[in-house]
Amino acid sequence: MNTLNFRKAAALFALGVLVLSATIATGVRAQSPAVDPAATQILHRMTDYVGSLQKFSVRTQNTLEDLLVSGHRVDFDVSADVIISRPNKLHAARKGELIDQAFYYDGKTLTLYNPSDKVYATEPAPGTIEEMLDFARETLGLIVPVADLVYRNAYPLLIQDVNMAVVVGKSFIGGIRCDHLLFSRPGVDFQVWVADSGKPLPYKYVVTDTGIPTRLSITTVMSNWNVAPAVADARFTFVPPKGAKPTTFMPF
Amino acid sequence: MKTIFKIAVLATALLFMLIADLPLLFEQDVPPLFEQLVPEAHAILGVRRRTRRRTAVIVGSEVHAEDSAQIQQAQQQTAAAQQQAAAAQQQAAAAQAPPPPPPATAGKPLPLGTVVSTLPAGCTAKTVSNVEYYQCGGNYYRAVFQGNNLVYVTAKP
Repeated sequence: MNTLNFRKAAALFALGVLVLSATIATGVRAQSPAVDPAATQILHRMTDYVGSLQKFSVRTQNTLEDLLVSGHRVDFDVSADVIISRPNKLHAARKGELIDQAFYYDGKTLTLYNPSDKVYATEPAPGTIEEMLDFARETLGLIVPVADLVYRNAYPLLIQDVNMAVVVGKSFIGGIRCDHLLFSRPGVDFQVWVADSGKPLPYKYVVTDTGIPTRLSITTVMSNWNVAPAVADARFTFVPPKGAKPTTFMPF
Repeated sequence: MKTIFKIAVLATALLFMLIADLPLLFEQDVPPLFEQLVPEAHAILGVRRRTRRRTAVIVGSEVHAEDSAQIQQAQQQTAAAQQQAAAAQQQAAAAQAPPPPPPATAGKPLPLGTVVSTLPAGCTAKTVSNVEYYQCGGNYYRAVFQGNNLVYVTAKP
């Protein structure tokens, strides 16, 4: 009987300690919002720089983590070459094990073309890249590669609701020394690696969905940055190849 | 008695866990071999994902500038709003669940506008006023984009 009482007391004490420490921890967290200005400054410098580029091209390697019905983790890779000419031109060619698709936007229309199926669809589109990205996502259900970093006003959009920001450290991505940043917002964490000298370009970007228990991520590694590509406007206008058949978008 | 109770609780818990998987059991496609090996394969690159999830931080370019004091206050609200948005997204995902496979037998023609992810076997292509149709048994299909994915919809040439 004595042993039992002692056990009960010990358990109660342990519980008390737990509750107390949890309360203290919450208090500490509430007092110091963990948004390190050093991290937000680097992010701001990067988004300002990318936003200021009139034209740029970049190769992105996108890895989408997924779960099979069996519960096994699997990665799907898509390589995308993206060319941007502000304010209203974008071309992206995506190739992966499950996609072979080109995207054209010339300021008037956007076109999706599947070369392997020889099928394309063209839709009138708004007049700027930013509006077009919103339109593509909301009206057509389209996903455009690295859209997050293409927005000219990316900084306020990214930093909105951020409640944690830290400089994790220095790392090397594709041989480039980068500042590794980690940000957290409700429902999503994101990491950005930004070159720490020269042009403040992003070299890696990871978005983790924290709203699902599996916390799956999409990782984008960027290479072949060209901040002054020689591209003619014609590059952004789709000309149907011989034999290609037009089709339409299903309403989203 | 205690043991029986434990077993009962465990069994109930297990049943609840299984319920989450039930819809998956019922919406099994009859896809080509590759998709059988990788059941999620067709679903990852666009809207036909079974579990729609976030692949971007920015989900709208409208920003409401707030000073930091307001942000503190608004955080709970935005969290709630984001939960609502997430719920809406899930609903949207459910609404666009992967289209069912075409029926194995080509008996009665399917209603117009039926969406399938893959064409049934043995279709012949036919072009009518520069639009390509696929005749499969008693049905004509037309390729259309559903988000980034190419799907097939029954249509009348």
